[in-house]
Amino acid sequence: MIFIFYIFLFLSIFFAFFGNIGMLRFPDVYTRLQASSKCATTSLLSLFIGLMIFKGFSSISVRILVIGIFFLLTSPVASHAIGRSAYEGGILPWRRVRKKEDISEDR
Amino acid sequence: MLITKKKLFKPLQKKRKEKVKSVNVHSKWKIIRILLTASYLMLGWIFFTVNLAPFSLFLGLTLSFAVAFFTYDLFIEKEEAARRSLLPRIYLLILYPLVLLTKVYLASFKMIIPVISGQSNPRVVHFRTRLKSELARVVLANSITLTPGTLTLDLDNDHLIVHWLDAKTIHSHYAARLIKGHFESWLKRIWM
Repeated sequence: MIFIFYIFLFLSIFFAFFGNIGMLRFPDVYTRLQASSKCATTSLLSLFIGLMIFKGFSSISVRILVIGIFFLLTSPVASHAIGRSAYEGGILPWRRVRKKEDISEDR
Repeated sequence: MLITKKKLFKPLQKKRKEKVKSVNVHSKWKIIRILLTASYLMLGWIFFTVNLAPFSLFLGLTLSFAVAFFTYDLFIEKEEAARRSLLPRIYLLILYPLVLLTKVYLASFKMIIPVISGQSNPRVVHFRTRLKSELARVVLANSITLTPGTLTLDLDNDHLIVHWLDAKTIHSHYAARLIKGHFESWLKRIWM
């Protein structure tokens, strides 16, 4: 049991690390939101699952389950709010610029 | 000629009585909405305070009714009429988070590749859903936000605007089929 708990803790640290790296590396608001929202959600969810396995079937684990469900509902709403305000504010999403060699010379 | 007041007013009084007797749909619907929101809140209370002592149950019941009386209009709209949107199929509703959780884990592992390589092809895609209930649409938008490289920017009735990190097409029909995946059919069975 303890071993599975450690695996989930490791997963949580792993996803949080890559989410933060994605925040720094990506070019604009939307792509950064993608990295942060997904990886942060997964890291916290795996932390919750690990704690539930650590505690076994008890009153605390039921409470953690309810908190996890609330988190699953609210965290996408938060990222959606930021993304929508950026979209309504007129920030254009970043696009990959194609190299000159890739564009054919017919046009 | 003397027409008594009683004779004149009798038919009117009868009509009034009939009006009272006939079913007032709005007040009935109001009572149902209050009861449903109170029961949902009570379920949340029981899960949160894992405690079946009579005092705690009584406190939860009174508080949930007090909250439901003020907020029933926010939880269930006046025009919301579909029976399935109020009473979802519960066995599928319990299964759905597990399906979502596996997809979320796969999505996060896929997310690591563009984070490391720094290569992405982001586009904004528009498409529509066939779901009719508001709650099901919101859940669909949330689960799209949680799955591989997609982020819901706007939800206007049945029209979704989605930011796609690794776009394969801009054609709305194919994009919808790729992004929604199995979620729509799941939610159709739960809520419709």
